[in-house]
Amino acid sequence: MAKTILIVDDSASVRQVVSIALKGAGYEVITGTDGKDALTKLNGQRIHLIISDVNMPNMDGITFVAEAKKLPAYKFTPVIMLTTESQEDKKRQAQAAGAKAWVTKPFQPEQMLGAVAKLVQP
Amino acid sequence: MTAPRRFVVDEELTIVTAADHRERLLASLGDGNALRIDLSGVGDVDTAGLQVLVMARAEGFRLGLPVEFAEPSAAVTEALALTRLEL
Amino acid sequence: MALDDDMREALDMFVTEARDLVQGLEEGLLELEDQPSGGETVNAVFRAAHTLKGSSGLFGLQHLVAFTHVVETVLGSVREGTLDVTPGLVSALLPCTDHISAMIEGLARGQLEPDAAQAADGARLLSGLEPYLMDGGAMTPTASAPGTDAEPQERAWRLELHFGEDCLRNGMDPLSFLRYLSTLGTVTDVVTVTDRLPDAADMDPESCYFSFEVDLVTAAPKSEIEAVFDFVRDDSDIRITPADSQLDTYVRAIRAMPENDRIGDVLVTSGAVTELEMAEALRIQQERAVREGTQPVPIGEILIEQGIVQRAIVDAALNRQRRTSETRSQDTRTIRIDAARLDKLIDLVGELVIAQSSTGMPNSSATDTSAEAQSEVMRLVDEVRHSALSLRMVPIGTTLRRFERVVRDVCMELGKEVSLVITGGDAEMDKALVERISDPLLHLVRNSLDHGIEPAGERRKHGKAQQGTLRLNAYHDAGNIVIEVADDGRGLDRDRILAKAVERELVAPGTALTDSEIYNLIFEPGFSTAETVSNLSGRGVGMDVVKRNVTALRGSIEVETTRGIGTTIRIRLPLTLAIIDGFLVGVGSSSFIVPLDRVTECVELPPGPLVRDCMNLRGEVLPFIRLRQIFGIPGHAARRQNVVIVEQSGQRTGLVVDSLLGELQTVIKPLGILFSRVKCISGSTILGNGEIALILDVGSLIADHSDRELLRQAVPVG
Repeated sequence: MAKTILIVDDSASVRQVVSIALKGAGYEVITGTDGKDALTKLNGQRIHLIISDVNMPNMDGITFVAEAKKLPAYKFTPVIMLTTESQEDKKRQAQAAGAKAWVTKPFQPEQMLGAVAKLVQP
Repeated sequence: MTAPRRFVVDEELTIVTAADHRERLLASLGDGNALRIDLSGVGDVDTAGLQVLVMARAEGFRLGLPVEFAEPSAAVTEALALTRLEL
Repeated sequence: MALDDDMREALDMFVTEARDLVQGLEEGLLELEDQPSGGETVNAVFRAAHTLKGSSGLFGLQHLVAFTHVVETVLGSVREGTLDVTPGLVSALLPCTDHISAMIEGLARGQLEPDAAQAADGARLLSGLEPYLMDGGAMTPTASAPGTDAEPQERAWRLELHFGEDCLRNGMDPLSFLRYLSTLGTVTDVVTVTDRLPDAADMDPESCYFSFEVDLVTAAPKSEIEAVFDFVRDDSDIRITPADSQLDTYVRAIRAMPENDRIGDVLVTSGAVTELEMAEALRIQQERAVREGTQPVPIGEILIEQGIVQRAIVDAALNRQRRTSETRSQDTRTIRIDAARLDKLIDLVGELVIAQSSTGMPNSSATDTSAEAQSEVMRLVDEVRHSALSLRMVPIGTTLRRFERVVRDVCMELGKEVSLVITGGDAEMDKALVERISDPLLHLVRNSLDHGIEPAGERRKHGKAQQGTLRLNAYHDAGNIVIEVADDGRGLDRDRILAKAVERELVAPGTALTDSEIYNLIFEPGFSTAETVSNLSGRGVGMDVVKRNVTALRGSIEVETTRGIGTTIRIRLPLTLAIIDGFLVGVGSSSFIVPLDRVTECVELPPGPLVRDCMNLRGEVLPFIRLRQIFGIPGHAARRQNVVIVEQSGQRTGLVVDSLLGELQTVIKPLGILFSRVKCISGSTILGNGEIALILDVGSLIADHSDRELLRQAVPVG
């Protein structure tokens, strides 16, 4: 059974490219346009990995992760945060919220696939 | 000697359900039942799941109650191959 | 091709999205110009630039990434409040949005790379943003370091994986890592260690108790295996060591490696240790040394203790290092000789043999032929000696060129720009001298870089070229070799030196001194003008040590400086340590040689009793030393004694001897180890008559004597 990954990013093109790459590698993908939107996607279905941007309108990534981790079904779901090299403090906040993995922006699709594959295999 | 009680682990054998499985397994063993754990329906297994299985066997051994595993699903077989654990 | 279609669709999406973002960016900037403190606007503008950069990266649009990175950095400073919004800033940023927009439209037309005009435009715009960049806004390349060209070899590794208790709760499943490892290579064995699993009653089903021992065969470098555990490294104990079966391979590889001073480099190059592990081991080493206040534990020991690498590999690397230092020390004992010089010497010896045999001819009829042959032998002997001495001569260039690296490293450390100009590298000098002068020179070079040459900013302010120049020049002058270290820096500060010398009580206040006397104060012990002790020259080694070293080589040092223009330090050394001009004196049946450059004059010892070993020299009190007494030479003094007046460090002293035997060139033979502790004698030489003469060490003779005088005055003998 294919593993399901939730991608949360306000950029449609990022969602699209990452989706293409992950689907190509054999994962199921669902997407959210920001933290608030993504929370509505967490309707109890099994999600094996969350990939989330930090800076987003409506609800930022750190708040989203903290909220998601409050839901029993997603308490233990691994999270990859999309950080930038200049955001060490954001990275620490994200880790405190429960996002223990990260990929530094800007990234190439292969880099994302590499990080994902360590945590969840399709 | 009664036949071992059949214990079914359904779909998920992961950290999400590990606490539940542990409670149920300990309750069954506590009742003095030998167990036959049916793993045929497991679709998802992780380290936490394997730990619960190993725990059940050790606890059974401690209580003198045989715990055996039956019909591992593909997911369980893969996890056992990966860890070289033998159940 | 569905994927291609998908990607094209994604690119179209990006274009649409980017148009909106650019528009938002532009509007936001204009809004900020009116209301510079709009916090939400600042956030929105920053986010727009940030998103643009992220998305461009995903499509591999490097030009756009680099460009928006700078814009984002500037906006980041605005958001953090370290940069104010000014009309100037907005006017610099607005054309940037136009540029981004032009790039996006290019993309829409299918043009992925900027054309030449656009690239130039971009560079111009970025240079306009430079004043607003706090520090290095340049994009750090994220590309991974290129691997070595060598064919990757499969190696076996032993992985010990002790995951942190929380790792399962954090969503990190060891099974996933095991699965991923098998994509790197072949997992030949796994042992799942279940020992730590507690009794059922105490078990927390969400904690991780299992640990794993994995044998992996892979061509991937160790750093790549290490990277698998990036996300769990902080709270897990992950050890990756070369498999025992591979030890020989590493040991062999290390043995075949080029020499290296640093064991760390050897180990990292061998692939047994990663940069990350090395850095961590160094951190532990430092921390422990600081905490325990002891000498740092050898890095190899820490690597072994941390289970990073086995002792056999560390030992191999240590051997590699030890061999390096052995070769180095042998270097000082061997000498490379120009073959032509050796040939010439052998030729001369051949001629000498012929000439000598002709003196022994029994039937030489005329005595003048014999005399001629004799003088020919003498001439040849002299030439042989010269030729033999020249074997020890090496060009100083090799030593001077070593400073290129020093200058480069020191400049990096100090953030200065300095070019090194070396002239006169072919000037030759005695090999032993070259070696002994290199440390003092190093000190002078560092000093010039540190204190002499100003930072680029200060140089610009004074209308000097931003890049400083350090010159090393060597030339021969009147039987000496002169080495100059010259910088075009700020020059010595006469008043500051004088003030410091007074403060340090090196000179009495109000002493009248010439400029050159003042500058020479920097060579006085205990003098240092550096107000802040820098890492480089402030190690307590002062110019006085440099001077002492130079003097020990029978050289001299002087300084020439012009305020604001630069400083030149000039070292003058004899060409060789092996020959000195000496003055031969006799005491009883013994002969001594006084280095001629120390002798100022000779006078007769006034007759009659003299108080306290002092005599009157043209109205001045001159202390003297009786060599007969000091060296305990038996016999009575000659009726008429002479005094050789020597000068050392401005202090004049007389040496009382029986006879003055004249000047001669002397080949110095060092004293054997047996006599190495004998004071006041620096060597010996063999005289023409076969007797031995001792060469006096004037400096220690005077120092020794004045010590004894002080002692005698302090404790009067009743």
